[in-house]
Order: sequence, then structure tokens, then C-alpha cells
Amino acid sequence: MTQDTATVTGPPDLGPVPESGPDGGPDTAPARRRWVRPLAAVLAVALLGVGGTLFVQGRQLRDTPATSNRALTDSAATSRVTGDVSSALGKVFSYSPQATAATKEAAKQLLAGRALQQYAALFGQVEKQAADQKLTLTSQVVRAGVTRLTGSSAHLLVFLDQIYEREGKAATTAAAQLSVTAELRGGQWRIVDITSR
Amino acid sequence: MSSRTRTGLGWSALLAAVLVCALGTWSYAQARGDDTLAYAKSRDAALADGKRHLARLTSMDGRNATSVKSGIDAWLDASAGPLHDRLESTRKKDAGRLTESGATARGKVTDAALTALDDRAGTAALIATADIEVTPRTGKGGTERKRFEVTLTRTGNGWKIKALEALPVGSGS
Repeated sequence: MTQDTATVTGPPDLGPVPESGPDGGPDTAPARRRWVRPLAAVLAVALLGVGGTLFVQGRQLRDTPATSNRALTDSAATSRVTGDVSSALGKVFSYSPQATAATKEAAKQLLAGRALQQYAALFGQVEKQAADQKLTLTSQVVRAGVTRLTGSSAHLLVFLDQIYEREGKAATTAAAQLSVTAELRGGQWRIVDITSR
Repeated sequence: MSSRTRTGLGWSALLAAVLVCALGTWSYAQARGDDTLAYAKSRDAALADGKRHLARLTSMDGRNATSVKSGIDAWLDASAGPLHDRLESTRKKDAGRLTESGATARGKVTDAALTALDDRAGTAALIATADIEVTPRTGKGGTERKRFEVTLTRTGNGWKIKALEALPVGSGS
């Protein structure tokens, strides 16, 4: 059945139809070409416009300070810098009369630049007292957060508890809050700036 | 130029336009669908909102009943969830107490950092240090340094503080 219908209404019968269009005669083809060209041009411009606009908008979405900061977005790097800086602060802000050399050595290794002077100012008095009064200081990081992290530098806020123990006296605990800038040098995070908050 | 080369050029121009459009769309779709980018933006928004709201929650203008009322309104606006409910329930008592004391506090967040962010659940944890300048009605005031641990929750109106704790010493991790 279908085969029959196909042969009966097939294209060969309609063959001559285009030749006898509404205008009739050879004008039809150039007339169509006349509006095809501008249409194609308009289409091309529209496509270029849409493509360009979307590209620019995509760029704007990306081009924010948010993208260059890897704090929390790169969780491995974030926990690494948090760990390195926390352990560094624990070492340089802990002191016992028997192990002064260890603290000094740690400070030399883990601090750099301005942090060395800031450390001397923050820690100088404690060091003097420690020697005279047999004071032991233990610093523990209780909270730490990264505000900025790039490939080679980081900014952190660290909360410390500092436990002071004096021979024959009850231990006292003090709170310390430090804003820390660290730089990755030779595969290790070094503290380059310390601000007490 | 023959009409044939012109047609050819026209087609290639159109093809080029299609390609440009496709590339633009692709690049935009990539930016829109970039999870890391969305996460980074949430992080920055949570930190900025958290800082702003913490400053409001540590401030109070106790000069008179009107200023206390607007101060408490600011507290309610900065908070959500459990903290909001608590402030709401003690609102009258707080207003009376604060108006009576007449003390003014101005909180300034000196540094803050996010310690956790769950973009999907819409929760974040933040630590912050603040200087709170307290001026009593009579006598000399002073500046208190405090450290806070803040829990944030995302609402239809940005991130709000749902829990606030002044972290004392010896509070371990």
C-alpha cells in the first residue's frame, strides 16, 4: 500500500512546479538570492554578538579576586599551611629553661624577614623572665584559619593558648591571637610577618 | 571575484560566526558550572557577611531607649536560627537592661578567617578577633580584646550568624 502511494505522489510529477512560481519565469532564483545574503549577514553578526557577549560575561564571572585565593578551595594546600604554621608557632612560642637553644634554633629556621624582629619584641621579655624565674612556656594552637592562600604566600589567623608554669606555683593560661603571613620558601612555609591581635 | 568564491567566502564567514558563538557559549557555560569558582565566591561572601554581622553584634548604642531599640534590631538582623530566637525571646529584658546601664559598645573586627565551609548545606565556621570599645554612662571606658568563634548559616538574605561564642582560654581544639 505505502509503496503504491509513494510512486503515485512522487516528486517526478511535481517537477515543473518551481518553474511556474507566482512571479513566473526566471526572476525567482535571483530574488531569493537577494534576501539570502543580508539574512546570512545578519545571522553572522547576531552569532558573533551572542558569542562575544557570552565570552565577556564568562570572563567577568572568572575575573574576581575569589579565583586567585585558594584558601579552602584547595583543601590539601589549606590544611598543609595550617599545619605547618601551627607547628611553627607552637615551637617558637614554647620555652623551657633547659631547652633555650632548641627554641632559638626553631625560630631561626621557621621565621624569616620582619617576623624575626617582631618575634624578638614579642618574646624578648618572656625569655628574660624565663631564665630568672625558671619559667616554662607552652603554646598551643586552639584554632587556625586561612584567609588568603596563593602558590607561595598565605595569610592566617591563629588562636593560641599559652600556659606559663613557674616552679612551685600554679600554672596560668593566657590567650594570644596572631595574624600571620607565611611564605613558601624551599618547600617549607616560613613565617614572615606576625601581628598580635 | 567570481560569484562562486564570494558564496564560498560568505559560507566560511557564517561558519566562523557559528564557531565564535559556540566558543563563547562553551566558555560561559564552563564559568557558570565551575564548582571551585562558586565555592570561592561563597567563601568570600561568608567571610565578608560574617565580619560585618559580628561587628554589629558586638556593638550597642546605649544612649537612650530609641538607640537601644535600633541596636537590638541590628542584632536581630545580623543573626539567624538559635541565636536569633534567643535574642528575640530576651528582647524586652535586654532592652530594659541596656537602656538602664546606658553603656555604649563599639565592636571592630580586627581579623577573621573561615575555618570551614559547606557550600551545599549552607553552613560555615569563622574565627575572628575584635576590639570592643566600651564607654559606660559614667566613668572611664576601655577597649576589650576578644576572640570569637562564629557559626554562619546561609539565608535568603546573605550569610547570618547562628551561633556566637567568645572563646575563653583553655578551650582546646
